[in-house]
Amino acid sequence: MWQTLKNWFLPKFTIPAHFRHLPWQQIPFLAIDLELTSLDAKESNILSIGWVEGKQSSIALASCYYQVIATKASLNQSPVIHGLLDEHIAQGEPVKVALEKLRHYAESHVWVFHNTNLDMSVLNKVFLKLGMPLEDIVTLDTLQLALYQIRKSESVPAPNAATLTSCRQRHNLPLAPAHNALDDAVATMELLFAQLSQLDSKGREPLSALTGTGALKVFKGTVRPQRINP
Amino acid sequence: MTSIPQQSLDFLKASAPFDQLSTERLMALARHITVAYLTSENAAQILADRDNNLFLISSGQFTVKDSNEVEQNLSEGDFFGVGNLLNKLNHAIDIKVDSAGLLYCLPAAQFDSLCNENPAVAKFFETYHSDQLYNDAVADSKSMWLYKPISEVISDTVISSDTDTSILRATQQMSEASISSLLITEGDKLVGILTDRDIRNRVVSKEVSVHLPVSEVMTKEPFKITENRTLFDALCMMTEHNIHHLPVIDRITHTPLGMLTSSDMIRHQRGNILFLIDELAKAKNLYELTRLSWQLPHYFAKHAKRLGDFDVAGKVLSQATDIMTRKLLTFFQQQNGNPPFDFCWLVYGSQAREDQNMGSDQDNGLLLERRPNQQEDEYFAQMSQYVCEGLGKCGIKLCDGNIMASNPELRLSVEDAINESEKWVKEPTLDAILHFNIFLDVRAVAGNKDLFTALQAARKPLLKQPLFLSALARQAADVAVPLSVFQKFVFQKGHQPEDCIDLKVNAIAIINNLVRIYALAKGLEMPSTIGRLDNLKEESQLTESDGNDLRDIWLFLNRLRWRHQLQNSVTNNYVSISDLSSIQRHQLKAAFKTIKRSQQGVSMKFAGG
Repeated sequence: MWQTLKNWFLPKFTIPAHFRHLPWQQIPFLAIDLELTSLDAKESNILSIGWVEGKQSSIALASCYYQVIATKASLNQSPVIHGLLDEHIAQGEPVKVALEKLRHYAESHVWVFHNTNLDMSVLNKVFLKLGMPLEDIVTLDTLQLALYQIRKSESVPAPNAATLTSCRQRHNLPLAPAHNALDDAVATMELLFAQLSQLDSKGREPLSALTGTGALKVFKGTVRPQRINP
Repeated sequence: MTSIPQQSLDFLKASAPFDQLSTERLMALARHITVAYLTSENAAQILADRDNNLFLISSGQFTVKDSNEVEQNLSEGDFFGVGNLLNKLNHAIDIKVDSAGLLYCLPAAQFDSLCNENPAVAKFFETYHSDQLYNDAVADSKSMWLYKPISEVISDTVISSDTDTSILRATQQMSEASISSLLITEGDKLVGILTDRDIRNRVVSKEVSVHLPVSEVMTKEPFKITENRTLFDALCMMTEHNIHHLPVIDRITHTPLGMLTSSDMIRHQRGNILFLIDELAKAKNLYELTRLSWQLPHYFAKHAKRLGDFDVAGKVLSQATDIMTRKLLTFFQQQNGNPPFDFCWLVYGSQAREDQNMGSDQDNGLLLERRPNQQEDEYFAQMSQYVCEGLGKCGIKLCDGNIMASNPELRLSVEDAINESEKWVKEPTLDAILHFNIFLDVRAVAGNKDLFTALQAARKPLLKQPLFLSALARQAADVAVPLSVFQKFVFQKGHQPEDCIDLKVNAIAIINNLVRIYALAKGLEMPSTIGRLDNLKEESQLTESDGNDLRDIWLFLNRLRWRHQLQNSVTNNYVSISDLSSIQRHQLKAAFKTIKRSQQGVSMKFAGG
């Protein structure tokens, strides 16, 4: 079973060794975004998935991935939000194909989400259902980083202050079309670079420096028994 | 599967010259692009990791020195590293991050192959740092008639003869139809033409029998053109090959459709709009005049299809206004008798410069032979009132600032006008200059032009005085082009839509002011900005290349303004940046930068006094 370590003051040693001492500028990130049929993780299905790799504050556009998922689930309000219609979905790939590819990034990259909990809960559920084993996954949440930065400056975040669009505006990043999985993934990665640069302009701090922000979480994998201290 | 985010595609599509590429090509290109978030700390490293890339700024503000030229303040949409790529140089790029942001980086190999396959892209980058950009914008400038397709101008009846027709019969056919050349066919195909010159050179002077078939003496395999080409193409062909007769054929069947002659070209050159102006000149009363005048905007909207078409529009409108004025003066005199003594009707501002647009209001005044008594003044007052109101009815707005002959202060005798000029020149306060600028562009439109010549002769030495020119120069430097330090457009405050720039106040008027100063310094009398620039080429303080730049920019801005007015059916000068293509935005920025430089030039040369 996976479990989220609810402890915000994550012990340093739970960060896998290969990331533990790397300055964040050297860490390979993977920003992921899912478009879902519902905001309730329990009943939600993946409609599409997009991701992009980033390292040293750079994104190679060639590393962009986008896949519409063939799902039989009801689309509910999703066509309105994501523009995905039944005919797109019908042409999609089974979710397994995309997640097989995603799995390869589990150990090598730190996964980045704008709102980790929702997307990771759904991913967690689907991986489990497909019986696909996973390594430990280290995640960063740009939404939590944003809230942390807002609290530090204004104390009380305004409503909507932490949406991807408003976060990007605060960092003077260009407007991006929201609600396509790939566009949101790229937008999230750019936002992460902006946030981390603001927190540590030299880019020398390791991940553990972010433990106090609530943005860093480690999801324990299902491959091997949990190791406390490698 | 690799996919490219929409935001990147949108950004590239909005950035000249990539806007010219197909979506497929753009996708292929984007796969090689890396997007970097540049901060003061990592900028040097990121650039060092990317030897010889083309850099395109998506957000943020940077101070960059990428060549031997001066450093530049750059922001969204600007490129750098172009010089290194084009000249295969390895100039280190110094960058200072003024505000962090995203940078698109394209490796040299992709840049090279793109330039090789697409000459327009290559041209864009070759001229990226030069002033040639707006030269390009103006290069496609030709007046509107030239861009008509030939099919629209040739007559419906085709006059042709078969190859075995006798020379005599063919010549008779030409006389009957009063044409100077004849199409010669074999079956349906064009095989030759017979021209007046052929008859002179190959028949009469050689004493050839006129009963021989025409094929013996015709010009075989003549140059020809298809009907879908433009008059401009035809003109090029005729000029290049020095021919006066150009057969037009169907592009698919190759059957002859007609003949274009050099006299046709002359006629078309003067065509259309002059027709309307001819009609204006024939108008018999105010009603006819106003009815015809209101067709002018429709004419422009209908016939001006390319940006370059607008180059003549201002001149045409000014000519039309001149004619309206003369007609109105005639109508008044028909009803009220002759004037008590001679007068000269003067026009100022845009009408004088012949760069009127749909929003220009009328600026005019009267120059009188002598100071009138009360009764005489009454006549001129009524006449002016009639003409100004008449112009208003013809669609030429009344002047808000009351610079109209109907204003008694603008009906001066020659002597009083000279005195007034002296006063202005002696005390050039800023207020006076602002007021006076408009009177410095002046032209006589009707009445006794000797009065105007006398005024001009007396004013010429006055207006050359350094103290006066320096006051003008200071005023011309006062208005800034709408560009921020980081070369971003500065939009008109409180205007809808929000991304508007006042092309008149913040650009065109500045050029007019600058050119006027050079022109006055040289003692030139013509009021038009383009005419002044043409005459400043020699013996002036303006270098020829600077003069050409200003001319091209002026034409370019003027086109944008006309297109804005006609497309949106408005009469203001607030051009919205989102209405411009990305290459036009780029050209506009370049234009503003040049205007700014010219302002500095004028300040240095004249403002010292």
